[in-house]
Amino acid sequence: MNENIWILTSANAVTIATTLILAALGALFTERSGVLNLGVEGILLTSAISSFLAADSTGSIWIGLVVGTVVGSLLSSIHATLTVILRANQIVSGLALVIFGTGLANFLGKPAEGRTVTTIIEPIRLGPLSDIPVIGPILFTQDIITFGTIAFAVACAWFLFRTRPGLELRATGDDPATVDAQGLSVSGIRIRYTMFGGALIGLGGSWHMLAQSAAWHQAATTNGIGWIALALVVFAGWHPVRLIFGAILFGFCLRLPFTLQAEQITFIPSAFMQMLPYLATLIALIALSRPGSKNLRGAPKALGNPFVRDER
Amino acid sequence: MRAPFRIIFEQRSETPRYLSGFVPLVSVLAALLAGAIFLMATGYSVSETYSNMLQDGFFSSRGLTDTLGLSTVLICMGISAAFAFQMNLYNIGGEGQGYLGMIGGAWAGLALGPHLPSVVMIPALLLIGAAAGAAWIFIPAFVRARLGTSEIVTTLLLTYIGASLVNHFIYTPNSYFRAPDVVFPMGRTVADSAKLTAIGSTRMYPTFFLVVVLAVFLYWVVKRTEFGYRIQVIADSPRAAQYAGMNARRTTMQVMLISGALAGFGGATLIVGEFGKLDPGITMLGYGYAGIVIAALARNNFAAIIVSGILFSGLRVGGDKLQITTDTPIHIGVMLQGAILLFALGGEAFRRYKIRAVRMQAVTQ
Repeated sequence: MNENIWILTSANAVTIATTLILAALGALFTERSGVLNLGVEGILLTSAISSFLAADSTGSIWIGLVVGTVVGSLLSSIHATLTVILRANQIVSGLALVIFGTGLANFLGKPAEGRTVTTIIEPIRLGPLSDIPVIGPILFTQDIITFGTIAFAVACAWFLFRTRPGLELRATGDDPATVDAQGLSVSGIRIRYTMFGGALIGLGGSWHMLAQSAAWHQAATTNGIGWIALALVVFAGWHPVRLIFGAILFGFCLRLPFTLQAEQITFIPSAFMQMLPYLATLIALIALSRPGSKNLRGAPKALGNPFVRDER
Repeated sequence: MRAPFRIIFEQRSETPRYLSGFVPLVSVLAALLAGAIFLMATGYSVSETYSNMLQDGFFSSRGLTDTLGLSTVLICMGISAAFAFQMNLYNIGGEGQGYLGMIGGAWAGLALGPHLPSVVMIPALLLIGAAAGAAWIFIPAFVRARLGTSEIVTTLLLTYIGASLVNHFIYTPNSYFRAPDVVFPMGRTVADSAKLTAIGSTRMYPTFFLVVVLAVFLYWVVKRTEFGYRIQVIADSPRAAQYAGMNARRTTMQVMLISGALAGFGGATLIVGEFGKLDPGITMLGYGYAGIVIAALARNNFAAIIVSGILFSGLRVGGDKLQITTDTPIHIGVMLQGAILLFALGGEAFRRYKIRAVRMQAVTQ
């Protein structure tokens, strides 16, 4: 069996995991504030094509990343307006965003179909670390966004559980009435983190598009990664560090079908491998459920409920 | 410094009748207006795009019959979503249950079709499709009822698993569902007795009328039967339902299974109708997701779903033909669907609340 292809698979898994971590962190921040944004897939797609068009016309990948991030934040501000200010149903609003974003991305992407960006984000080799056999190419030969993302996820855990604003964020998701009584604006916090989360999702989508220097094609571009990211948040119990491991695991499952095909391993049907990340999430979800309680382990208690002061 | 005004949301005890029709109408118009601005900004002709969409979607005999034909499956997906939504159960996996309905229907058409006459075969095929859809939601329904696991994520994950299943059945060599002796992977067409003929030279099938009757029947079930009443009580006040001795777990199971069966039924209508075989192209069409929008726009009212289903179908049909008639990308149709729903959601606030701006002093007093 070819050893290199497995190393390549693992390295690719870490690459995909970067998109997953960014998107899932975005969802995590949004959900920690009590807002469920199911629109991740739509945001990813729209950011991906916006960043592509920006990078394509300016020739700078960094401008592309910034544009994609801003677009992600703008799209989620629609969700924030509808659900936090106008108190619309969060689930329906998120789904509307998926449909809207998919249409918008395809509309904008029509002229760009099949084109690729010419410059790529160069991988960084972390000195002697990347020369370590097997682990080197997998973990220490990635680009700056991947390294940055993993460090950022760890920083997010610190922010959430060790700082005052992190506490306020968690409290807004668990018990908005108390936050309100403290004199803080529940709506303000929720809008802020929904938009911040959208920015992270947008960065994830842009990076996914630009780092792999793939051609724009809707079905192939995100391929349901947004939904997996949402499941990943549940899988990780709303904890940023557990999210990193989950993302790498899921990324591996996503890459495995291609490897098995290349290695001509046929005793496992490739359809089963395609299902694996979804099946794993499904089983994890059911296993993490607690009978008699609607809340999953770690889930913000007020997730999905609009906060209405008069009805406190 | 604080704003001198505060926005106050006053819950309406009763919604004025005129608002119920007015809000969706304004939402559609606002979405079209937003779409027009977007088209102008990107350099496409607004009048040409819209007139072509309307013409090809509604105001030509070909367009109208195409629209009604497509609305068959969309209405089905809409009532499937609404049936669960009305009890605050968010089955967003109608898409996947539809795939399974198609797989079940195709199996029935291939395995039983050669042995049964049309009269028996068609209903059998539709029912087997519905059963397959219900089977696909069984696990989410069971864990929702027993453990409280969020049905949103589970039904959605199963949609992706269902899509892999469809691909597996078509792309695996020698698969039962795959057309033999053809190099290009495609589905095997079901027996003739398992197919309906289109009405005249249109792409409309008799299943359209069946689905409309089904929607009206469900409207009656929800408004006039004990089962419908139980759903409403559990949805509005779980505690009151508990004191009244209603079994919420069992009702949850029933409602979700029916929702899944309706989506499966929708998938099966494609087998007796336009497709006639299991087609992996279904995973690109997103009929199940459209059903959610249709249900939300109709605010889960089964009669209104017929209208919103036809409206959305027309947008799709008109949008899909744009590429042929103009150079506007067809995706404007999908975008408009999303925009309509976003505006409808915003408009909902005006229906439910009286929104006023009041001076800050008035609030603090």
